[in-house]
Amino acid sequence: MARGSLVAAGFVFSIFAGVLSYFMPAIAVALHDTGQVNTSLGGSSQLRPVSANENLSSTAPFTLLLLGSDSDAKFRGAYLTQSMILTRVDPATKHVTMLSIPRDLWVRLCNGNNGKIDQAFLHGGAQCAIQTVESNLKVHVDYYAWIGLQGLVSVLNDVGGVNVIANNPVMDDYYPADLSGGNPFDYQRILVLPGAQHMDGTLALEYVRARHDDAYGDFARSQRQQQILIALRAKTKHLSIADIPNLATSLGADFQTNMSIVRVSGLLPIAGAVPLASITQVVLLAPYTSSEYVNGQDALRPDWSLIRPEVAKYFPGA
Amino acid sequence: MLIAMMALCGFAANRSLAVLQTRNSAGSLVDATSPQVRLPGTIFVSQDGAIYAIAASGVRRLYLPAGGAWIQPRALPDGTLLAVRRFSQYSDLYHVSAAGRVLGQMTAANQSTSNQTLQLNHWILWPAVSPDGNSVYFATDSPKPAPGQSYEVDFSLWSAPLNGTAATDGGGISGSARWSVPDMYTGGDIEPVPLPDGSLLYSSYANTGKGTVVSIVGLQTSRTAAMVSLTTPAQDCGAPAVAADGITVAMVCTNRGQTAALEVATLQGTALVGAHVVVANCLCNSPSWSPSGGNLLYMNASNPDGNFGLWYIAKAGSTHPGVPQRVTDASVNLDATSSAAWMSH
Repeated sequence: MARGSLVAAGFVFSIFAGVLSYFMPAIAVALHDTGQVNTSLGGSSQLRPVSANENLSSTAPFTLLLLGSDSDAKFRGAYLTQSMILTRVDPATKHVTMLSIPRDLWVRLCNGNNGKIDQAFLHGGAQCAIQTVESNLKVHVDYYAWIGLQGLVSVLNDVGGVNVIANNPVMDDYYPADLSGGNPFDYQRILVLPGAQHMDGTLALEYVRARHDDAYGDFARSQRQQQILIALRAKTKHLSIADIPNLATSLGADFQTNMSIVRVSGLLPIAGAVPLASITQVVLLAPYTSSEYVNGQDALRPDWSLIRPEVAKYFPGA
Repeated sequence: MLIAMMALCGFAANRSLAVLQTRNSAGSLVDATSPQVRLPGTIFVSQDGAIYAIAASGVRRLYLPAGGAWIQPRALPDGTLLAVRRFSQYSDLYHVSAAGRVLGQMTAANQSTSNQTLQLNHWILWPAVSPDGNSVYFATDSPKPAPGQSYEVDFSLWSAPLNGTAATDGGGISGSARWSVPDMYTGGDIEPVPLPDGSLLYSSYANTGKGTVVSIVGLQTSRTAAMVSLTTPAQDCGAPAVAADGITVAMVCTNRGQTAALEVATLQGTALVGAHVVVANCLCNSPSWSPSGGNLLYMNASNPDGNFGLWYIAKAGSTHPGVPQRVTDASVNLDATSSAAWMSH
């Protein structure tokens, strides 16, 4: 009997070891990247426990601040956030709202100085970006997720690319050639043809990043970034827990979040179940913002009397 | 023995999880069991930078020179093809045989000598042959400001003799005549379709002034005439293709959304009438017509994250169009921005 138990335990242990070895890359990344405020990018050194303030109820709405940075060699680890998308997910109603915050929005930063909102991450990492968004937009942010250039390319390639309808020919003769390993200050020409098409990670990055030959510059690429996120949601239907190790390995240091791995894995089925008609996209064009030259910089002056009621409407209870 | 079995169990558990991973693969057109629908003549499509010929006898790859992506094949009346060879920083127009031999390079768009003069390069795309077979129409981002002067780079439409030589400035073909002036910073004017009466149909991108850029199907009755809008900004229509009768027009409209509709309408003077949807709620792109009839080809993905394939609708311009049929295998992912060229033989 004792020998039988020992043999059974041996089999259970070997299966457990096999499963553990499979998920080891995800576990390593989870230990490094999730459940804590990022410190390597200039953030607070105060760690937050994984479960603190975390309502993991599958039906409670939550807000997620998506941050994207040009994380190439030019910036030597001092990153601005070229993309900030405040997202509200309501699992019960399967409704998602995405609000793109213009990177040039002139705000009071977390350190008390005035500046463009994309500098918040540079000054104080994700913690400062969250505080700056919360204090200016009067909204609570539950989670954040930061991704760098190569991370975005990798995750899109790992899911097999996305299908997108490109609104118009996206052209840029001054697109940064910063991912090829050469001089990061070089240019390259890019062209994304219009219409429905399949995009791999590199093409999708060009689509969301190009801005020079665009009548609406940063606003237009904010809309394109939202398009890619919506297209990505179609892919999440096919992802399972077995895909997490590969994704974790691909993202590596190009991804940071304060979501626990439980919340991340819980998001996948929610994202896949949200119908296209249940996604609200918001971009803060005029009259919500106006172009101004502030302190020697091109910036966008916010009209908070218009913006905050909209934020309150689209992010109720946050 | 028991220890070996335990180790095997552990390994099996590990590999079982690996099997559950999402697989993303697309087969080559030659390897896949294509075509699913037997159509007369030969149809040329682009996949992963190669051009393939689909015929009743099977599928073959055109062994064009290596380097760059070969896209946007167009059938010429003599059985040869025009095709675009796209490199990372420029593209050129080529005349090739149906077997894949290069008969001539028609443009020389690689004009840059350093990274600082990259802007001297050009894109040349969407070639179209006039119904009389004498002229080629195309879109190019020439002229544009000198390097370092401006970010503006938009397509305009040009025509040139089909037997012309490459222009020295890289922007097209010697003796080219300009047809359009683009709305700046929109992408410009693309996808020209020369009509039998000498007019030109095309997609024109326009700034609405309200935060969006939209596509309009426009018509120019002559090179110097003003463009007449055939569709509204709200419809957001583009990719026009005209059937052999010269008046039946297929186009893709998105209504500024993230799904599209394939529509067919009739060109009556300077208006499109009787527009109706033949495929709704799709990821349709790049329609093209059969050489002599009203049968329609187009690209579409069967679901939001599926592969793009070639689809066919018999008698798409009639009041009783056929049911859409997928021509290529579902495992094949074609270049959806490159319309198919259909040759009668």
